[in-house]
Amino acid sequence: MTTVVLEDLVHTYAEGSVRAVDGVDLRIGSGERVALVGQNGSGKSTLARHLNGLLRPTDGRVLLDGVDARTRTVAQLARAVAVCFQDTDRQIFAGSVGKEVAFGPRNLGMPADVQRAAVTEALDAVGLAAETSTNPYDLGYSRRKLLTIASVLAMRTPVVVLDEPTTGQDARGMDRVATIVARLAADGRTVIAISHDMRFVAEHFERVIVMRAGKVVLDGPPVAVFGSAAWDTLASTYLEAPYPARVGQRMSLGSTPTDVAVVAALGARVHPGRSRPDA
Amino acid sequence: MGGVAGPVGLIVVAVLLPAIWAGVARRLIRTALLLSLPIAISVLLINVFFFPGGQDILLRIGPVTATREGVAFAMETLLRIGVISGSITLFYLTTRPSDLVLDLERRGVSARLGFVTNAAVQMVPSMVERAASITAAQRARGLDTEGGLRKRLSGVVPIVGPVILGAINEVEARTLALEARGFSRPGRRTLLWAPGDSGIQRLVRWLIVVTVPLAIAIRSSGMLAGFGG
Amino acid sequence: MTLALHGVGYRYAGASTESITGVSLEMRDGEVVGLGGASEAGKSTMCLVLSGLAPRAIKGVLSGTLLVDGEDVTAWPMHRMAEVVGTIFQDPTTQLSGVCATVFEEVCFGSMNLGLARDKVIDRTYAALDAMGIGELAARDPSRLSGGQMQLVAIAGLLAMRPRHLVLDEPTAQLDPAGTVLVADALAHLAAEGASILIAEQKTDMLARICSRVLILESGRIVLDGAAEDVLADARLDALGVPAPSAVRLRRALDAAGLATDLPADLVA
Repeated sequence: MTTVVLEDLVHTYAEGSVRAVDGVDLRIGSGERVALVGQNGSGKSTLARHLNGLLRPTDGRVLLDGVDARTRTVAQLARAVAVCFQDTDRQIFAGSVGKEVAFGPRNLGMPADVQRAAVTEALDAVGLAAETSTNPYDLGYSRRKLLTIASVLAMRTPVVVLDEPTTGQDARGMDRVATIVARLAADGRTVIAISHDMRFVAEHFERVIVMRAGKVVLDGPPVAVFGSAAWDTLASTYLEAPYPARVGQRMSLGSTPTDVAVVAALGARVHPGRSRPDA
Repeated sequence: MGGVAGPVGLIVVAVLLPAIWAGVARRLIRTALLLSLPIAISVLLINVFFFPGGQDILLRIGPVTATREGVAFAMETLLRIGVISGSITLFYLTTRPSDLVLDLERRGVSARLGFVTNAAVQMVPSMVERAASITAAQRARGLDTEGGLRKRLSGVVPIVGPVILGAINEVEARTLALEARGFSRPGRRTLLWAPGDSGIQRLVRWLIVVTVPLAIAIRSSGMLAGFGG
Repeated sequence: MTLALHGVGYRYAGASTESITGVSLEMRDGEVVGLGGASEAGKSTMCLVLSGLAPRAIKGVLSGTLLVDGEDVTAWPMHRMAEVVGTIFQDPTTQLSGVCATVFEEVCFGSMNLGLARDKVIDRTYAALDAMGIGELAARDPSRLSGGQMQLVAIAGLLAMRPRHLVLDEPTAQLDPAGTVLVADALAHLAAEGASILIAEQKTDMLARICSRVLILESGRIVLDGAAEDVLADARLDALGVPAPSAVRLRRALDAAGLATDLPADLVA
């Protein structure tokens, strides 16, 4: 499938001399579930836009499977990397859910039968299979958000980038997004999600990349990024570790980024000899 | 060239002198020239070469001839244009829109009118930004904006639709916020301050009120005919 | 001052059914009430009805009555309602008037509209800036602030109008973590000072932190109404599409594993 490599990526927006992305080196393998976190202004959104060519590097390179993204147009890169943006209102245009989701596949030139299959598959994945002819604005916000995710899933790209997929979602919506992330990874597709929800990140992603002022300051599994050794760094980005991690630190349980981890750690403490349940 | 004296006099007295006093002379000259450039070029070309009844030929380029009468008329017209663009630019450079709106409000014009004007002006950059954002999202889904004309035309709907819908939604959200802040209360609202007014400004305003009808009257009665007016 | 809804329903113009129906509730002075519910359960509609914006600024049909201190306010114009209920929405940018060059003027905007005496407007603005802790932002351009800061300015602007109740419709939904903390802290501070607040939120952690009472909506009806600790620990929340607060979830996970260990009580989720 597709590996994404960023080599010393630098991005400066034309007007100022501030580097929105300031020398980032990253390698993301296919099938990885990566969360990209950081405050607004940390560079994560800028970085995401380099993955499909909407922004071009001021310096450094973006390589998709070894091919320099610079040699491809945005429309061509959309075959490899599909990016779903945060604002649903700045994307949805069709009169029906079905037509909206078909937009991406159509642009990619999929034959009609493949388009249909892709659309059905995507709508199933987000739970909107019954709403093919519904007007998107008759759906609630949560489901409209899922619609935008479906629009991108239908493009069947090896890399999927989701910008704030859980913002404004209710519990059911969040569960859906979690399922989608897991399914994509199971299919060998790479998922990169930008999120403000540390809990969601800790529970569903195997790798967390933390950005601050254009640089990557932490990069590792949740247990490392939300462990107390990283706290000072995390605090400098104005992010807070999820509740279970803080409980674990307070109760000296080691690094426990999820509820399951806290249970496991406490279980081991209370019954030291007993084998721990699967974390 | 009597017809030139009037406009030149006006430019000096009513435009340049106040501009120098307000400290905006350089900007004014640059802006006013830019403003009048397109029309100036067409005035020049049409009048120099196509002035009806032009006898005194200066230049011949193929089928068209430049005449002295044409040049004279072009110069007069350009100077008049200069008066107009100069005064517009002077107004624009020396007046803050918010002051104007506030002053109108102080004199009884509804606050809503000023507000709408401000909001309308701000809408344009907001819509431009929204369009850019929407274009990015659609390109991310494979919309080809770098292709041929037909492809670009078919890309209009996925962009224009959300731009307009989004703008309408934004207006609704803004209206709610304004209503929540008592904006539709009838009657005057309290003003924190009013733009200053001075004796001189009042004098000048009265002079303008008196001079304009006077000038029109004199002009139409033909009293200044001998001055090429 | 009590704000009460008696059997209230609201149907948006062009809709076939009511978005909220048969809602009765009383908001007393000094209460901080949380409103939870799945997306489209009617939280926003509740907020719009409580604020008086529905049906005054949003077309639709209101059934039942809204009462302020026992008085039916159906005939009250919006600007009079604005002096009783202040409303905050999700989007920080559209709440700015767009015509104020500084935060100070922005916060004055509402009280200026009410036609109060100039000194009063200025005094109230200073008080509101203090209450929200944003005095140092007074000279800044409101359009250049962060989302969280903009929300604080919006709240201050409403506070300057001295409403008896504040209604907030998912005020942190569009903010980053720093902005969320900023707003949550400010609201906690207001709550501690005795403000009357109704806050609709998906983030139940925030409701757990500041609310004394929580209501849960489902399909436009109030299905749960009680003390915050009870409602937020209710087993039915999951089925209602509302995520339980972090502390409750961890507690449940521990209980399910047979661990009775106490969790640190002072850790805020």
